[in-house]
Amino acid sequence: MQLLLNGLIAGSLAALVAGGLALVYGVLGVFNLALGQIVLVGGYVTWWLYGVMGLPFVASIAGGIIAGGLVTWITFRLFVEPFYKRHRFLPIVTTIALSMILDGLILILFGESPKSIRLGGGIWHIAGARISVAQLGLILITILLLSVLAYTLHSTAIGRRIRAVVQHPHAVESFGVPAQRLHQLLFIMSGILASCGGIFLAIDQNLTPVLAFSITIKAYAAIIAGGKGNVWGAIVCAYAIALLEQAIVGIHWFNTFYVPAGFQGTVALAVIIIFLIIRPQGLFGSVARSA
Amino acid sequence: MLCALSVAACKPTSSTEPIKIGFIGPLTGDAAALGVDILHGIQIAVDDANATGGIDGRQIQIVAEDGRCTGADAASAAQKLINVDKVVAILGGQCSGETLAIAPIAEAAGVPIISAISSNPDVTEAGEFIFRVYPSDALKTVVMAKYFAVQGWDKVAILSTNADFSVGFRDALKADLPAGFIFDEVVDPTAKDFRTVLTRLTGQDFDVFVPNSHANAPMALMIEQFREQGLTQPMVSHDVADTLDVIAAAGDAAEGLQSINVPTIEADTDFGQDFITTHGQPQAGMFFAAFGYDAANVLLEAIRNMGDGPLRDAIAATDRHPGVVGPISFDENGDVVGVSYDLKEVQNGAYKTLRALPL
Repeated sequence: MQLLLNGLIAGSLAALVAGGLALVYGVLGVFNLALGQIVLVGGYVTWWLYGVMGLPFVASIAGGIIAGGLVTWITFRLFVEPFYKRHRFLPIVTTIALSMILDGLILILFGESPKSIRLGGGIWHIAGARISVAQLGLILITILLLSVLAYTLHSTAIGRRIRAVVQHPHAVESFGVPAQRLHQLLFIMSGILASCGGIFLAIDQNLTPVLAFSITIKAYAAIIAGGKGNVWGAIVCAYAIALLEQAIVGIHWFNTFYVPAGFQGTVALAVIIIFLIIRPQGLFGSVARSA
Repeated sequence: MLCALSVAACKPTSSTEPIKIGFIGPLTGDAAALGVDILHGIQIAVDDANATGGIDGRQIQIVAEDGRCTGADAASAAQKLINVDKVVAILGGQCSGETLAIAPIAEAAGVPIISAISSNPDVTEAGEFIFRVYPSDALKTVVMAKYFAVQGWDKVAILSTNADFSVGFRDALKADLPAGFIFDEVVDPTAKDFRTVLTRLTGQDFDVFVPNSHANAPMALMIEQFREQGLTQPMVSHDVADTLDVIAAAGDAAEGLQSINVPTIEADTDFGQDFITTHGQPQAGMFFAAFGYDAANVLLEAIRNMGDGPLRDAIAATDRHPGVVGPISFDENGDVVGVSYDLKEVQNGAYKTLRALPL
């Protein structure tokens, strides 16, 4: 039970970032390797507003999300939009450059020491396992947020329009759908989700300037395993990978040995690779489609 | 013409030339904060000496070079200080990598070096001319193992990050504990989620937990997530946990946490007040400056006492120099004797020194 809860905590964090990335990479087909840094921007700005400026918690969260959205918008206008129509791989280079710039800026502005937001609140005991009120809240809010997003995209008229834009931007523009604006909207949505991930990180763990890239990599793993273009798939797989990671080190395998904790990430990624050999289109991807 | 270009090399050692001592330490890069603090500590010692007329009427001059916490930069800095500036001794390196790289150069040139804070066990065997005022890491695990034995804690659980410092510490402690560890996990150095590994401890019988991380952020999370599992056993850690950053980030979970480290130098000591008036608040920590100050004073005292003999022998003869960090002497390897380890405990959100731990 504790294992399951630990997995849900880690999975919620991963799913927030993966859900955002699924919009950009999965739906739009564009790479954004600076997404991990945007996670940090959202987290650090919230920490700064709440911990240093003394703003109310809700206002601080709003500020963090706005800052994350703003940085994502700038990312789109300066580092993605001028390039991705020429070749869809060009933003890999430009966003890596941006990630380095943001890493440096975060280090200069916020320093090297770990920053965290602590809300207090008690510990609950559920079926012999322990979870704090804050963690439970984070898990529920994440699941709600992501469900609304995935439902909108896959099961409503707006979602259909967005997916149409991606499939054929010129054709939908002739139907009066503003393709460019929708691209931008998708991109900013991913930044907002990433910022939420950063706030989650600040509340549950802590923020340091160096952890951005590993966040990005985990999100890509979830998307690839989930099937490109499927937001539900990315979310489910982010949770699945997190649970797998916890199970690998937490279970006393065959009552004889524990997998050393250093292998936690490696084994989980190895399982994904094996899974993809068997099912290359991912868990929810369909065989014929390609974006 | 050549003489005009390099004055120091051509003039005979007159009684008015300043005495040059070199400094090597990180002045840029990740470790710059501590390098600057050490240099400022050295500056205070040198300024004090110069204010009272220098040594034999000669002023002391520091020639500072940036070692960037890397062996390669420190080595070229040492070549420059020895061959171009003709320093009589070098205070440095500070990072152990710097010290180990300049040791053979200093050894070959016969120029003594004193490091303020290098702690790597390999520095012990680095050579005849290599001294340090900071105790070797090898001693710290001995002290910790003794403390555990006195407390009757023989079932030890440890969680380490996979980095040079923390793995080195774990291996040394394992060798010093008669029963080894009953729980010994090494996690990725970038990991932030140790919950499941720590959950396994809930079913185990152990006496003490050692959070062993090389960096602040994982250290704070190990402490926090350990308590989050409802575990109540005592926690004992080392230098990395002995920072305000870590106990601030870990919050309530850090209450009662113990650390074994060199003595803390408070801002309200005489040295601390001196430092703040001259250089403002330290960037990395007051104790870095204190070790720099003591290293410089040991060297200055040796220069005063050397007479016609070699400077190296005068340094080696240092006998209970009354330093800020303790009475300083050297053993036959140039390792400091007299600087003890303190046992500190977090009480009401701040470290309090409980007592010195014997070696």
